[in-house]
Amino acid sequence: MRGVRGLDVALVLWPSFLAACAASLLFFAAVDPVVLRDAGPRLFAGLDREAGYALGFLFFWGSAALASAISVYLIRTARAESRAADVPGER
Amino acid sequence: MASATPLPPSAPPAGFYAAAAKIYPREVDGRFSRLRKAAVVVLLGLFYGFAWLDWNGHQALLFDLPARKFHIFGLTLWPQDFLYLTLLLIVAALSLFFFTALAGRLWCGYACPQTVWTELFVWIEQWTEGSRLQRMKLDRAPWRAAKLLRKSGKQVLWLTLALFTGFTFVGYFTPIRSLAAQILSLSLGPWPWFWVFLYSLATYGNAGFLREQVCKYMCPYARFQSAMFDKDTLIISYDEQRGEPRGARRRGSVARSVGLGDCIDCTMCVQVCPTGIDIRHGLQYECIACGACIDACDQVMDKMGTARGLIRYTTEHALRGERTRIARTRLVVYAVLISAALGALTFLLLTRTPLILDVLRDRNALYREVHGDRIENAYTLKMINLDDQPHRYRVTVSGMRGLELIAPVGEVPLPPGSVNSIAARLEAPRELSGGVHRIVLTLAAVDGSGSAVHENARFIGPKP
Repeated sequence: MRGVRGLDVALVLWPSFLAACAASLLFFAAVDPVVLRDAGPRLFAGLDREAGYALGFLFFWGSAALASAISVYLIRTARAESRAADVPGER
Repeated sequence: MASATPLPPSAPPAGFYAAAAKIYPREVDGRFSRLRKAAVVVLLGLFYGFAWLDWNGHQALLFDLPARKFHIFGLTLWPQDFLYLTLLLIVAALSLFFFTALAGRLWCGYACPQTVWTELFVWIEQWTEGSRLQRMKLDRAPWRAAKLLRKSGKQVLWLTLALFTGFTFVGYFTPIRSLAAQILSLSLGPWPWFWVFLYSLATYGNAGFLREQVCKYMCPYARFQSAMFDKDTLIISYDEQRGEPRGARRRGSVARSVGLGDCIDCTMCVQVCPTGIDIRHGLQYECIACGACIDACDQVMDKMGTARGLIRYTTEHALRGERTRIARTRLVVYAVLISAALGALTFLLLTRTPLILDVLRDRNALYREVHGDRIENAYTLKMINLDDQPHRYRVTVSGMRGLELIAPVGEVPLPPGSVNSIAARLEAPRELSGGVHRIVLTLAAVDGSGSAVHENARFIGPKP
């Protein structure tokens, strides 16, 4: 496997950022982070709503980035011939 | 993406983003660049200005996330009003489809924040580092005092602008005046700082550093926008039949008599392109339809004494000498869908009642006997005034003979945007209250605002 390139980092961070924005919007429109804090473990006690939004956003970004990273990893480590067979029209 | 017209094959794909050559767009003047400058001034003026606009004593546009309330001029939206936002996003998406099908990537060329902020950052770059040729020379020059001064001056201006942009952005989510005061007194909490820096970094990185690479490598819309295109879509196109064969010639010579087309191959269209493509290779997904190449080519055609429009807004049908149809099924369908969504949004907003009433029965007792011959039921009324004005309300009951409201009597005042839970007691004569009765509680504003909500409940008496 070749080393990690700048493009790989961008391919992981950028789509997951977009996904995290959409997920945060939908999730926090329905759920108030303060309610979540009060219902959850004591770990988050003392955090306010703004901290809840930020942590939620970072959590979504991290989860989506993990998925993107696995996708990029699987594509980059596949054999060249199977990649060519999968994507016939690739430029 | 394959080119839609049978033009020469497009250039081989550029290298990966770290290796991409730096693009030095040449400055250009003309109809489209003036239009773009006007769009930049208007849109950024709105962005930086609206944050400071007040309306009825509060910030006119405030998406108050800490309080979970959106203030849009006189309207206050709560999380339960998410439907409006959804409809608004649907309208925005459909409008994007409509305008793309009509005239290509108008969004990319004039309205996309990426374009708008990049334009602003390029202005700063031109001001500190000079024209395209001066910038290229400066980058090749060794690091001396003059270069250091120009480069660091640019960075200082860029960073200041980026930080102010991040601050303004956060100012739409927490009240901007108190945000400014907290920053100046260094008493701002860590999370607002995090968002200010994140948005500043995004502005600086996208508009100063990445620029056209965002459009070429990061933007999903650039990849699928061609799905909205058809042969009647206005696109920026090089008129190959008129231009080829291209080549240099003496000024004043008649192109056809020396066996050439109108293109003098001056490469001005390539030099002004912010994404560094050659429009003469045909429609490419890197083209953000800014129109800089049209402006540049028109100037050259004027100098050569030939007609403008060798590169112009045209359609595939028109290029082939066929008729262009503007009103076509695709556009009509988009227009109908946009009107329907806008109509629904308007109707829902106009008929929205900024008031919520929840009725909870007392869990401790089904009923209570009072004064020997009367039955009492107790409830908790949860009232929310969703309006941004204070109102006074009165509770009334109906749906059962002999039913009487004991509490609350009189008017219940509610400040704007507040929730209030009050105890309510209802009574009915014993002989009329046997069994379970469906009743209706009504909460109505008594100050002429006309808001009223009805809520069903049960009144329970002893088994008959």
